[in-house]
Amino acid sequence: MAEQELITISEAAEILGVSIDTLRRWDKSGKLSPIKASDAGYRLYSRSQLELFLHDPFVLAKDWVLKGTEIPSGSYCSNSAVFQTRLTRMQDLLSDVSELIDIFPLIVAVAGEIGNNSFDHNLGNWPDTPGIFFAYDINKRSIVLADRGLGILTTLKRVKPELNNDEKALKVAFTEILSGRAPESRGNGLKFVRKIVAENPISLLFQTGNAELTLVKDSDVLDIKHSAEPFRGCLALITF
Amino acid sequence: MKIELKKFGTTLISRQNGREAFAAFQPQLTALGENENLELDFEGVITFSPSWGDEFLSPLSKKYDTRLILMNTSNLSVKATLELLEKINQMTFKIH
Repeated sequence: MAEQELITISEAAEILGVSIDTLRRWDKSGKLSPIKASDAGYRLYSRSQLELFLHDPFVLAKDWVLKGTEIPSGSYCSNSAVFQTRLTRMQDLLSDVSELIDIFPLIVAVAGEIGNNSFDHNLGNWPDTPGIFFAYDINKRSIVLADRGLGILTTLKRVKPELNNDEKALKVAFTEILSGRAPESRGNGLKFVRKIVAENPISLLFQTGNAELTLVKDSDVLDIKHSAEPFRGCLALITF
Repeated sequence: MKIELKKFGTTLISRQNGREAFAAFQPQLTALGENENLELDFEGVITFSPSWGDEFLSPLSKKYDTRLILMNTSNLSVKATLELLEKINQMTFKIH
């Protein structure tokens, strides 16, 4: 087997378009760790590891919501009709996986609710790029959705003006059934997402503003914490 | 009167599509007798979500109450969606 091409931290920073300090932080947080240390103790990365990282849908989506970087056209749904078409395609692929035969409709419904939430609550109000990021890897059992919309707090404030931070907004979105929903219809879709995750082998990471929610499979515990990298829209990672 | 939901599609997920389906369905409803049941058959539906369901089922449930009967609801996304709609609308669907 050919020896892996090893790359120093400064070369890795250049390839990924981030600073060396960012790479050191990513190492500490576990987001991207070097594959080994040199004899002198310097961090060393492999080219294949960086390529994989660059093409990781979650990383691409996060960069898009944080910095507006370009995303592959295959992951961009400019409107809900495009999203519906691609979601149906994902449904077809998931239906072929024998161990998912019972729960794949739930996975599609969860992704559908999160994606459509983005369209429903930002229609006519997109701050810059309209539409959503939607990518999946059936082999890795993951789905990523993101938008550069107004975020949960701003859209939820229309019906609950007393909300004053992202963490509270996230909690309301995932737990409170809102009735008398004028002036806009809300599908209570995120409550559905929580219910599905609580009862099935599906997990979710959901970020909006400076709040981050983690829901783990087969559990109804709602873990909401402050996120170190705030952004305006929404970012979701579904694993199953 | 029996309606096959799969005629509206097998992936019934968005609020917008639910609204469109509900509007397209209205002319058919004029043929429903005064005491006749409205049966909605989920056979063939692959994915069903609360957004679509809220736009389509909630108004029908309000209008027809116990005359609305749902059939073939064993798909897990159908089951989960119906449970949530029941909670939101504080009602119980009649299921055959």
